[in-house]
Amino acid sequence: MTGNVAPAGSAEVADPRFSRWAIVASNLTKYFPGVRALDDVSVSIYAGEIAALLGQNGAGKSTLIQVMSGLHPAGSYSGRIELGGRDYRPADTAAAEQAGVVLVPQEVSVVPQMSVAENICLNAEPTRWGLIDVGLRLAKARAALRDFGLEVDPRREMGSLDLATQQLIVIARALSKNLKLLILDEPTAALTEKESLRLFDRIRTLKARGVASIFVSHRLSEVFSISDRVIVMRDGRIRGDHVANEVSRADVVTEMLGHARGETRSRSARRECDAALEVRRLTVFDESAERRVKVDGLSMAVAKGEVVGLFGLLGAGCIEAALAIYGAWRGVVDAEIAVLGEPVSIADPQQAIALGLGLMAQDRRDCLVQDQSILDNMMMATIAKGVSIQSLDVAERRRVAISLMKKLRIKAESVDAEMRTLSGGNQQKVQIGRWLAAGAQILILVDPTRGVDVGARGEINRIWSRLSESGHAILIASSDAEELVDVCHRVIVMRNGRKVGELSGATLTEKELLRIATDG
Amino acid sequence: MVDSVSPPKINSELGAPVQRALAKPAHLARFAAFRDSILFLVLCGVWVFFYFATNGTFLTQRNLILLALQTSIVSLAAISAVMLIVTRNFDLSVGSAVAFVGVILALLTVKYDVNPWISVVAALGGGVAMGIWQGLWVARIGISSFIVTLAGMLYFRGFSMIATNGATVAPLPDALTDLATGFLSPALSIGLIVIFLSGYLALRIFELNRSRSLGLTNEFGADLFSVTFPAAMTAVVAIWIVSRQGIPYLVLLVAICAIAAELLMRRTRYGARLYAIGGNPEAARLSGINVKRVIFWNFVIAGFGYGVTGVALTARVSGAIGGTAGLFLELDAIAAAIIGGTSLSGGRGRVVGALLGALLMGSLNNGMSLMNVPTFYQNTARGVVLLLAVAIDHIGRARRAGR
Repeated sequence: MTGNVAPAGSAEVADPRFSRWAIVASNLTKYFPGVRALDDVSVSIYAGEIAALLGQNGAGKSTLIQVMSGLHPAGSYSGRIELGGRDYRPADTAAAEQAGVVLVPQEVSVVPQMSVAENICLNAEPTRWGLIDVGLRLAKARAALRDFGLEVDPRREMGSLDLATQQLIVIARALSKNLKLLILDEPTAALTEKESLRLFDRIRTLKARGVASIFVSHRLSEVFSISDRVIVMRDGRIRGDHVANEVSRADVVTEMLGHARGETRSRSARRECDAALEVRRLTVFDESAERRVKVDGLSMAVAKGEVVGLFGLLGAGCIEAALAIYGAWRGVVDAEIAVLGEPVSIADPQQAIALGLGLMAQDRRDCLVQDQSILDNMMMATIAKGVSIQSLDVAERRRVAISLMKKLRIKAESVDAEMRTLSGGNQQKVQIGRWLAAGAQILILVDPTRGVDVGARGEINRIWSRLSESGHAILIASSDAEELVDVCHRVIVMRNGRKVGELSGATLTEKELLRIATDG
Repeated sequence: MVDSVSPPKINSELGAPVQRALAKPAHLARFAAFRDSILFLVLCGVWVFFYFATNGTFLTQRNLILLALQTSIVSLAAISAVMLIVTRNFDLSVGSAVAFVGVILALLTVKYDVNPWISVVAALGGGVAMGIWQGLWVARIGISSFIVTLAGMLYFRGFSMIATNGATVAPLPDALTDLATGFLSPALSIGLIVIFLSGYLALRIFELNRSRSLGLTNEFGADLFSVTFPAAMTAVVAIWIVSRQGIPYLVLLVAICAIAAELLMRRTRYGARLYAIGGNPEAARLSGINVKRVIFWNFVIAGFGYGVTGVALTARVSGAIGGTAGLFLELDAIAAAIIGGTSLSGGRGRVVGALLGALLMGSLNNGMSLMNVPTFYQNTARGVVLLLAVAIDHIGRARRAGR
């Protein structure tokens, strides 16, 4: 499958100028009821080029890549697209893949119970005499993996692999087709920096084969480290189309936001205060195997009014530590914990909440009920407290929810709006509201702005500083260095389950965090 | 403590924007109520059809009372079915458990001559014990409720047969039979309906008044009307129906159980926890809800439901038939809950809807019997109605979600 993707030598293309383009989209316009999602968008990508597509949620990036990948069939939009110099009008994703355009969606869609080989050949199983040819399937899968430079046994169960490897396998599956354009929707949202580097390394090998790539990302640092082109969208239009090394980050952010980004908050000196949360010798064991240690003797403290970060790459133990402190970890936990100076034991979330703790988990789907209202979701921690048959004060619940919605500037029709209709940023704010309604004083946050667009991210980060100023203690476990540097007073760095450093004040920089977290 | 962000203080900053934010919910609430009214309209349509098809016999006071009696057992079972399905649990053992409760009651009163009222308490206790037993398996040991209650369906039926040796145990003492066949006098019945209506209105007016004093609504008159009008209409129809014979005790029992369950589900913390767990168990756990304990109590309540349903069914037929009593009751109960808008994937469902669902199925049986339609056709028709009702609900929801 190598060699046949570089259009430069293709015989049927007459004009050499167009043969250099992988895809040329001109004057694309697409309407959704009440919204112009794409407004006269023209964009072209060279063969072998890596283009980053940036923009806030609702900017039109998703619509653009969905049009290109056939999710919106030809005819549902106006304008025209040429692929490798030929007219490209896919009726569906299957037709798009046939033509050589593949979209790898944000959520890795694999069947975890099936083997790698079964996943790679899903819905394209080789058959002999009407039965699946198991041997050939294994051979095909092995070839696809080798071709992409992945060292994975195709007989392994998909679910036993880490998220990054699963994602790479999904891409390897896409490659086993005649690929011209690979579209990746936020490929690194769930990955650690190291895993992202692996992914980008693979994408570069595709570049050498002449495959064009478009990837959507919220992380500016990776955008600038990998891409040749940076395309910025806002309100359904292209607002910037730059060669990557000719534009500054600040300019790109300005184009995304439509206005200049405010100065990053100058870190105020932490007031000397009592420790709200103290953890000594926290040891967390794996859920299944008791011998495997996830967190090894972590000690730390968070004072009232302090925002403390817990930084580490995926697998470093940050998430496990955060869940264990909250009593939500399903495996064995051993620690001495004190809240407001009093030694306590926290065996489950009920006890944590009674002590004034609150948790925002890594995956919003774990914390929110998507088809219930904002009101129900906000009041979820308050109904957990108190006597079961105590009657609900319906009016008071509504009043609290409405005031929190206003206070946190949650954009929705009303408190009765279903959760699923809200954007990621607004959903996170509902979670914040839940813990304010429950009166939590110590907030534990795991990757609080994952998958949240830049504008809402800034707004949520400002909420943390407001809460800390009013005396809340906040612990943020995250693998996003940029975010921690922005909001934290102090960041504890973890590697392999151990605390390996602590940064504050002037030494707290993205570069230094990454250096400590990755350096052996 | 931090006052600026704890809820009680924030609210002092509230002003006009809240009023604006409230303009929408009223619409939404009406829209949500629309689902129940579709079911209500379907029910009205079915009633009008049978009115003409039976030359008016269907809509007589006598037949409507009969219909309510015929529906009562399924209604009782459907109430606990809703509570369980809302938390994503199933109960396939209802029919067998109810039969076993009946066997306990009949054996104690008929064979051992125990005082009827002590026997009733023992039968209710037996139901609760069965609920505790199944609750322990589901909540403590963590086996799926489908399996636990499937097993229960088999061995509760087995116990009933073993205890009675397959024979019918009858007749029950008159005190118990009267319970199921007796009527409250028309005057008392009307008085009771008026009391129920006033109680309901008092609660809603209290709540509306509280909303107004908290600055949540400024359309007190309109809200009051939208609460009062349907309730008053229902009361008028109910008074007409009972004005000749009065309310059967059995129907009164259904009404009391339904009101208790509705209050528990919609107006207590326990009820809110049920909906949260059904919507997303992991979110409920991380919000500090003790999921296992709530599910355990859910089965205990269901067990009390076996007791009440078993006593009512046994008293109604004046005896226990271990082999066939309550056969397929669990499926009728689940069907009534589903027709009434309870979502199989959890987090959504109302007792009121389930009662309407049970009434719809009961109306089909009753009406077709009046028209002398053979039983085979009746089952077929009920199956088609179940499928159509769920399909309408599903399509309606998909359309709303797509907007």
